[in-house]
Amino acid sequence: MLIILAFIILFHLAAAILLFVATIHNAWWVVSQAGRDVIYADLWYSCNSTCFPVENSHTVDAAYLQTIQATMILATILCCVSFFVFILQLFKLQQGERFLFTAIIQLLAALCVMIAASVYTAQKNSFHLANLREGTYGSSYILAWISFPMTLMSGLMYLVLRKRK
Amino acid sequence: MLTFVALASVLLLGIVPEQTEAISIYTGWERHALLGSDVRLSCSFFSWRGTSDDVTFSWTYRPDGSRDSISIFHYTSGQAYVDNKGPFRDRVEFVGNPGKRDGSILIKNLDYNDNGTFTCDAKNPPDIVGRPSSVRLLVFETVPIQAGVITGAIIGVVLGLLVLIVVIYYLMRFLVARRVFSLSVSKQGKKKREGTQARQ
Repeated sequence: MLIILAFIILFHLAAAILLFVATIHNAWWVVSQAGRDVIYADLWYSCNSTCFPVENSHTVDAAYLQTIQATMILATILCCVSFFVFILQLFKLQQGERFLFTAIIQLLAALCVMIAASVYTAQKNSFHLANLREGTYGSSYILAWISFPMTLMSGLMYLVLRKRK
Repeated sequence: MLTFVALASVLLLGIVPEQTEAISIYTGWERHALLGSDVRLSCSFFSWRGTSDDVTFSWTYRPDGSRDSISIFHYTSGQAYVDNKGPFRDRVEFVGNPGKRDGSILIKNLDYNDNGTFTCDAKNPPDIVGRPSSVRLLVFETVPIQAGVITGAIIGVVLGLLVLIVVIYYLMRFLVARRVFSLSVSKQGKKKREGTQARQ
Protein backbone atom coordinates (compact mmCIF):
# COMPACT_ATOMS: atom_id res chain seq x y z
CA MET A 1 0.00 0.00 0.00
CA LEU A 2 2.72 2.40 0.94
CA ILE A 3 4.64 1.48 -2.20
CA ILE A 4 1.63 2.31 -4.38
CA LEU A 5 1.23 5.62 -2.57
CA ALA A 6 4.89 6.50 -3.04
CA PHE A 7 4.74 5.56 -6.72
CA ILE A 8 1.66 7.66 -7.33
CA ILE A 9 3.10 10.66 -5.55
CA LEU A 10 6.39 10.39 -7.45
CA PHE A 11 4.54 10.04 -10.75
CA HIS A 12 2.45 13.11 -10.02
CA LEU A 13 5.51 15.10 -9.00
CA ALA A 14 7.37 14.00 -12.13
CA ALA A 15 4.49 15.21 -14.30
CA ALA A 16 4.46 18.54 -12.43
CA ILE A 17 8.20 18.99 -12.90
CA LEU A 18 7.93 18.24 -16.62
CA LEU A 19 5.17 20.82 -16.92
CA PHE A 20 7.26 23.42 -15.10
CA VAL A 21 10.28 22.81 -17.32
CA ALA A 22 8.21 22.85 -20.51
CA THR A 23 6.56 26.13 -19.52
CA ILE A 24 9.66 27.96 -18.32
CA HIS A 25 12.44 26.72 -20.61
CA ASN A 26 12.37 28.63 -23.89
CA ALA A 27 13.13 25.73 -26.21
CA TRP A 28 9.93 24.82 -28.05
CA TRP A 29 11.52 25.70 -31.39
CA VAL A 30 15.16 25.37 -32.40
CA VAL A 31 16.63 27.16 -35.42
CA SER A 32 20.14 26.05 -36.31
CA GLN A 33 21.52 27.71 -39.39
CA ALA A 34 24.96 26.92 -40.68
CA GLY A 35 27.48 29.50 -39.58
CA ARG A 36 25.26 31.24 -37.05
CA ASP A 37 24.39 30.76 -33.42
CA VAL A 38 21.68 28.28 -32.61
CA ILE A 39 18.45 30.10 -31.75
CA TYR A 40 16.08 28.71 -29.14
CA ALA A 41 12.62 30.25 -29.37
CA ASP A 42 9.18 30.18 -27.67
CA LEU A 43 7.22 30.50 -25.48
CA TRP A 44 8.55 33.63 -23.84
CA TYR A 45 11.91 34.59 -25.34
CA SER A 46 13.94 33.77 -28.40
CA CYS A 47 17.58 33.47 -27.46
CA ASN A 48 20.88 32.92 -29.16
CA SER A 49 23.54 34.64 -27.12
CA THR A 50 21.12 37.40 -26.08
CA CYS A 51 17.45 36.98 -25.37
CA PHE A 52 14.70 38.98 -27.06
CA PRO A 53 11.07 38.76 -26.01
CA VAL A 54 8.96 36.89 -28.50
CA GLU A 55 7.01 39.23 -30.76
CA ASN A 56 3.69 38.46 -29.19
CA SER A 57 2.00 41.74 -28.86
CA HIS A 58 1.37 43.43 -32.14
CA THR A 59 -0.06 40.93 -34.53
CA VAL A 60 -3.51 39.41 -34.56
CA ASP A 61 -1.88 35.99 -34.75
CA ALA A 62 -0.23 36.70 -31.44
CA ALA A 63 -3.51 35.50 -29.96
CA TYR A 64 -2.43 31.92 -30.62
CA LEU A 65 0.85 32.31 -28.77
CA GLN A 66 -0.92 33.92 -25.84
CA THR A 67 -3.44 31.05 -25.77
CA ILE A 68 -0.56 28.56 -25.62
CA GLN A 69 1.08 30.52 -22.81
CA ALA A 70 -2.18 30.66 -20.90
CA THR A 71 -3.00 26.96 -21.23
CA MET A 72 0.54 25.88 -20.26
CA ILE A 73 0.41 28.07 -17.16
CA LEU A 74 -3.06 26.74 -16.36
CA ALA A 75 -1.90 23.14 -16.73
CA THR A 76 1.01 23.76 -14.37
CA ILE A 77 -1.21 25.50 -11.80
CA LEU A 78 -3.86 22.75 -11.98
CA CYS A 79 -1.25 20.01 -11.60
CA CYS A 80 0.13 21.64 -8.45
CA VAL A 81 -3.36 22.29 -7.06
CA SER A 82 -4.35 18.66 -7.65
CA PHE A 83 -1.27 17.54 -5.73
CA PHE A 84 -2.30 19.59 -2.70
CA VAL A 85 -5.90 18.40 -3.04
CA PHE A 86 -4.62 14.80 -3.12
CA ILE A 87 -2.69 15.28 0.12
CA LEU A 88 -5.78 16.89 1.64
CA GLN A 89 -8.08 14.10 0.49
CA LEU A 90 -5.60 11.51 1.73
CA PHE A 91 -6.29 12.64 5.28
CA LYS A 92 -9.93 13.64 5.00
CA LEU A 93 -11.59 10.97 2.88
CA GLN A 94 -13.60 8.15 4.35
CA GLN A 95 -12.37 4.65 3.76
CA GLY A 96 -13.35 3.17 0.41
CA GLU A 97 -14.01 6.48 -1.31
CA ARG A 98 -12.37 7.57 -4.54
CA PHE A 99 -10.12 10.59 -5.02
CA LEU A 100 -12.62 12.19 -7.34
CA PHE A 101 -11.70 15.83 -6.86
CA THR A 102 -8.01 15.15 -7.45
CA ALA A 103 -8.77 13.15 -10.56
CA ILE A 104 -10.96 15.88 -12.04
CA ILE A 105 -8.33 18.59 -11.56
CA GLN A 106 -5.56 16.36 -12.91
CA LEU A 107 -7.63 15.48 -15.99
CA LEU A 108 -8.30 19.18 -16.55
CA ALA A 109 -4.54 19.77 -16.44
CA ALA A 110 -4.07 17.03 -19.04
CA LEU A 111 -6.69 18.70 -21.23
CA CYS A 112 -4.88 22.05 -20.97
CA VAL A 113 -1.52 20.56 -21.94
CA MET A 114 -3.11 18.85 -24.90
CA ILE A 115 -4.73 22.11 -26.02
CA ALA A 116 -1.43 23.97 -25.69
CA ALA A 117 0.65 21.43 -27.59
CA SER A 118 -1.97 21.00 -30.34
CA VAL A 119 -2.41 24.72 -30.88
CA TYR A 120 1.36 25.14 -31.01
CA THR A 121 1.71 22.37 -33.60
CA ALA A 122 -1.05 23.77 -35.78
CA GLN A 123 -0.43 27.49 -35.59
CA LYS A 124 3.27 28.01 -34.97
CA ASN A 125 3.84 29.39 -38.46
CA SER A 126 1.41 32.23 -37.87
CA PHE A 127 3.34 33.83 -35.02
CA HIS A 128 6.91 32.93 -36.01
CA LEU A 129 8.98 35.70 -37.53
CA ALA A 130 10.40 35.14 -40.99
CA ASN A 131 13.86 34.37 -39.68
CA LEU A 132 12.45 31.67 -37.39
CA ARG A 133 10.43 29.78 -39.98
CA GLU A 134 12.89 26.97 -40.66
CA GLY A 135 13.62 24.98 -37.59
CA THR A 136 12.84 21.88 -35.61
CA TYR A 137 10.91 21.15 -32.47
CA GLY A 138 12.93 21.56 -29.30
CA SER A 139 13.15 19.81 -25.98
CA SER A 140 10.41 21.79 -24.23
CA TYR A 141 7.93 20.82 -26.96
CA ILE A 142 8.75 17.14 -26.46
CA LEU A 143 8.44 17.52 -22.67
CA ALA A 144 5.04 19.13 -23.10
CA TRP A 145 3.81 16.24 -25.20
CA ILE A 146 5.24 13.70 -22.73
CA SER A 147 3.52 15.38 -19.80
CA PHE A 148 0.13 15.00 -21.52
CA PRO A 149 -0.10 11.18 -21.18
CA MET A 150 1.58 11.41 -17.79
CA THR A 151 -1.09 13.72 -16.40
CA LEU A 152 -3.80 11.72 -18.15
CA MET A 153 -2.64 8.44 -16.63
CA SER A 154 -2.18 10.08 -13.26
CA GLY A 155 -5.74 11.42 -13.36
CA LEU A 156 -7.15 8.03 -14.36
CA MET A 157 -5.18 6.36 -11.57
CA TYR A 158 -6.79 8.71 -9.07
CA LEU A 159 -10.19 7.82 -10.51
CA VAL A 160 -9.57 4.13 -9.94
CA LEU A 161 -7.82 4.36 -6.59
CA ARG A 162 -9.80 3.88 -3.41
CA LYS A 163 -8.70 4.92 0.02
CA ARG A 164 -7.61 2.08 2.20
CA LYS A 165 -6.06 2.12 5.63
CA MET B 1 48.56 51.80 16.23
CA LEU B 2 44.96 52.82 16.78
CA THR B 3 45.55 56.24 15.24
CA PHE B 4 47.13 54.55 12.22
CA VAL B 5 44.09 52.33 11.76
CA ALA B 6 41.77 55.32 12.18
CA LEU B 7 43.72 57.36 9.65
CA ALA B 8 43.77 54.48 7.17
CA SER B 9 40.01 53.92 7.45
CA VAL B 10 39.30 57.62 7.00
CA LEU B 11 41.54 57.67 3.93
CA LEU B 12 39.84 54.59 2.48
CA LEU B 13 36.39 56.05 3.11
CA GLY B 14 37.57 59.21 1.44
CA ILE B 15 38.96 57.38 -1.59
CA VAL B 16 36.08 55.01 -2.35
CA PRO B 17 33.44 57.63 -3.30
CA GLU B 18 35.92 59.05 -5.80
CA GLN B 19 35.38 55.94 -7.94
CA THR B 20 32.48 56.40 -10.33
CA GLU B 21 29.94 53.60 -10.60
CA ALA B 22 28.15 53.07 -13.88
CA ILE B 23 24.93 54.94 -14.48
CA SER B 24 21.90 52.78 -15.37
CA ILE B 25 19.39 54.18 -17.82
CA TYR B 26 15.83 52.89 -18.03
CA THR B 27 13.37 53.30 -20.85
CA GLY B 28 10.50 51.10 -21.88
CA TRP B 29 11.08 48.19 -24.25
CA GLU B 30 8.35 48.93 -26.77
CA ARG B 31 5.71 51.57 -27.16
CA HIS B 32 2.55 51.11 -29.19
CA ALA B 33 0.64 54.16 -30.35
CA LEU B 34 -2.22 55.00 -32.64
CA LEU B 35 -1.72 56.93 -35.85
CA GLY B 36 -2.07 60.65 -35.19
CA SER B 37 -1.86 60.39 -31.42
CA ASP B 38 0.84 61.52 -29.00
CA VAL B 39 3.23 59.19 -27.27
CA ARG B 40 5.34 59.77 -24.18
CA LEU B 41 8.77 58.17 -24.26
CA SER B 42 10.00 57.87 -20.71
CA CYS B 43 13.65 57.81 -19.69
CA SER B 44 15.05 57.75 -16.19
CA PHE B 45 18.35 56.77 -14.68
CA PHE B 46 19.84 55.40 -11.53
CA SER B 47 23.10 56.79 -10.22
CA TRP B 48 24.85 56.42 -6.88
CA ARG B 49 25.55 60.12 -6.87
CA GLY B 50 23.09 62.87 -6.29
CA THR B 51 21.62 64.59 -9.33
CA SER B 52 24.16 67.16 -10.42
CA ASP B 53 23.37 70.51 -12.01
CA ASP B 54 25.17 69.42 -15.19
CA VAL B 55 22.88 66.43 -15.82
CA THR B 56 22.28 65.87 -19.55
CA PHE B 57 19.64 63.91 -21.46
CA SER B 58 19.83 63.23 -25.18
CA TRP B 59 17.47 61.33 -27.43
CA THR B 60 18.44 59.94 -30.83
CA TYR B 61 16.19 58.33 -33.43
CA ARG B 62 16.99 55.51 -35.83
CA PRO B 63 14.29 54.65 -38.41
CA ASP B 64 13.35 51.00 -38.95
CA GLY B 65 15.68 49.48 -41.49
CA SER B 66 18.22 52.28 -41.37
CA ARG B 67 21.60 52.21 -39.72
CA ASP B 68 21.98 55.96 -39.19
CA SER B 69 20.63 57.71 -36.16
CA ILE B 70 19.95 61.39 -35.79
CA SER B 71 19.77 63.43 -32.66
CA ILE B 72 16.35 64.84 -31.86
CA PHE B 73 16.58 66.15 -28.32
CA HIS B 74 19.22 67.41 -25.95
CA TYR B 75 18.94 68.76 -22.43
CA THR B 76 21.97 70.41 -20.84
CA SER B 77 22.73 73.13 -18.34
CA GLY B 78 19.08 73.50 -17.45
CA GLN B 79 17.98 74.12 -21.06
CA ALA B 80 16.07 71.75 -23.36
CA TYR B 81 16.88 71.82 -27.10
CA VAL B 82 14.35 70.14 -29.42
CA ASP B 83 14.52 69.12 -33.04
CA ASN B 84 13.90 72.10 -35.32
CA LYS B 85 15.23 70.75 -38.64
CA GLY B 86 14.74 67.02 -38.77
CA PRO B 87 11.74 64.69 -39.13
CA PHE B 88 10.41 65.65 -35.72
CA ARG B 89 10.52 69.43 -36.00
CA ASP B 90 7.85 71.11 -33.89
CA ARG B 91 6.65 67.70 -32.68
CA VAL B 92 8.97 67.09 -29.74
CA GLU B 93 8.21 68.44 -26.30
CA PHE B 94 10.19 67.98 -23.12
CA VAL B 95 7.91 66.67 -20.36
CA GLY B 96 10.54 65.40 -17.98
CA ASN B 97 11.82 66.62 -14.65
CA PRO B 98 15.63 66.59 -14.55
CA GLY B 99 15.62 67.22 -10.81
CA LYS B 100 13.74 63.93 -10.40
CA ARG B 101 16.00 62.17 -12.92
CA ASP B 102 13.24 62.04 -15.52
CA GLY B 103 14.15 62.86 -19.10
CA SER B 104 10.93 61.96 -20.88
CA ILE B 105 9.83 63.49 -24.14
CA LEU B 106 6.45 63.73 -25.82
CA ILE B 107 6.17 63.12 -29.57
CA LYS B 108 3.00 64.52 -31.10
CA ASN B 109 0.91 63.63 -34.13
CA LEU B 110 2.51 60.30 -35.00
CA ASP B 111 2.95 59.04 -38.52
CA TYR B 112 3.98 55.67 -39.97
CA ASN B 113 7.38 57.17 -40.76
CA ASP B 114 8.00 57.49 -37.02
CA ASN B 115 8.37 53.74 -36.62
CA GLY B 116 11.84 53.14 -35.28
CA THR B 117 14.13 52.98 -32.28
CA PHE B 118 14.57 55.89 -29.88
CA THR B 119 17.67 55.84 -27.72
CA CYS B 120 18.03 57.79 -24.51
CA ASP B 121 21.45 58.65 -23.15
CA ALA B 122 21.73 60.31 -19.76
CA LYS B 123 24.83 61.59 -18.03
CA ASN B 124 25.12 62.65 -14.42
CA PRO B 125 28.65 64.10 -14.05
CA PRO B 126 30.95 62.66 -12.83
CA ASP B 127 28.88 59.50 -13.45
CA ILE B 128 29.18 59.33 -17.22
CA VAL B 129 29.89 55.66 -17.88
CA GLY B 130 26.66 53.96 -18.87
CA ARG B 131 24.88 52.16 -21.65
CA PRO B 132 22.16 54.08 -23.50
CA SER B 133 18.78 52.41 -23.44
CA SER B 134 16.46 52.05 -26.42
CA VAL B 135 12.71 51.95 -26.81
CA ARG B 136 11.02 50.81 -29.97
CA LEU B 137 8.06 52.76 -31.28
CA LEU B 138 5.33 51.01 -33.26
CA VAL B 139 2.55 53.01 -34.86
CA PHE B 140 -0.75 51.29 -35.65
CA GLU B 141 -4.00 52.20 -37.26
CA THR B 142 -5.98 50.18 -34.73
CA VAL B 143 -4.98 49.23 -31.22
CA PRO B 144 -3.27 45.83 -31.33
CA ILE B 145 -3.55 43.03 -28.82
CA GLN B 146 -1.33 43.97 -25.92
CA ALA B 147 1.13 41.38 -24.68
CA GLY B 148 -0.36 39.16 -22.06
CA VAL B 149 -3.95 40.38 -22.19
CA ILE B 150 -5.33 37.21 -23.73
CA THR B 151 -3.05 35.08 -21.55
CA GLY B 152 -4.26 36.73 -18.39
CA ALA B 153 -7.87 36.65 -19.51
CA ILE B 154 -7.86 32.92 -20.25
CA ILE B 155 -6.13 32.03 -16.99
CA GLY B 156 -8.39 34.29 -14.96
CA VAL B 157 -11.61 33.06 -16.53
CA VAL B 158 -10.78 29.36 -16.26
CA LEU B 159 -9.54 29.57 -12.66
CA GLY B 160 -12.49 31.74 -11.73
CA LEU B 161 -14.92 29.25 -13.25
CA LEU B 162 -13.25 26.38 -11.39
CA VAL B 163 -13.43 28.21 -8.06
CA LEU B 164 -17.06 29.10 -8.77
CA ILE B 165 -17.94 25.48 -9.56
CA VAL B 166 -16.27 24.25 -6.36
CA VAL B 167 -18.04 26.89 -4.27
CA ILE B 168 -21.41 26.12 -5.84
CA TYR B 169 -20.88 22.38 -5.31
CA TYR B 170 -20.13 22.75 -1.63
CA LEU B 171 -22.94 25.28 -1.22
CA MET B 172 -25.43 22.88 -2.80
CA ARG B 173 -24.24 20.06 -0.55
CA PHE B 174 -24.57 22.30 2.48
CA LEU B 175 -28.02 23.56 1.51
CA VAL B 176 -29.37 20.15 0.61
CA ALA B 177 -28.05 18.77 3.87
CA ARG B 178 -29.72 21.57 5.78
CA ARG B 179 -33.05 21.07 4.02
CA VAL B 180 -32.95 17.33 4.54
CA PHE B 181 -31.86 17.90 8.12
CA SER B 182 -34.70 20.29 8.90
CA LEU B 183 -37.26 17.99 7.21
CA SER B 184 -36.11 14.99 9.20
CA VAL B 185 -36.05 17.08 12.39
CA SER B 186 -39.77 17.93 11.97
CA LYS B 187 -40.53 14.29 11.08
CA GLN B 188 -38.39 13.04 13.97
CA GLY B 189 -40.01 15.57 16.27
CA LYS B 190 -43.48 14.31 15.33
CA LYS B 191 -42.35 10.71 15.68
CA LYS B 192 -40.79 11.46 19.09
CA ARG B 193 -43.93 13.16 20.28
CA GLU B 194 -46.05 10.29 18.99
CA GLY B 195 -43.65 7.85 20.58
CA THR B 196 -43.77 9.55 24.00
CA GLN B 197 -47.55 9.86 23.76
CA ALA B 198 -47.85 6.21 22.84
CA ARG B 199 -45.61 5.25 25.75
CA GLN B 200 -47.67 7.42 28.04
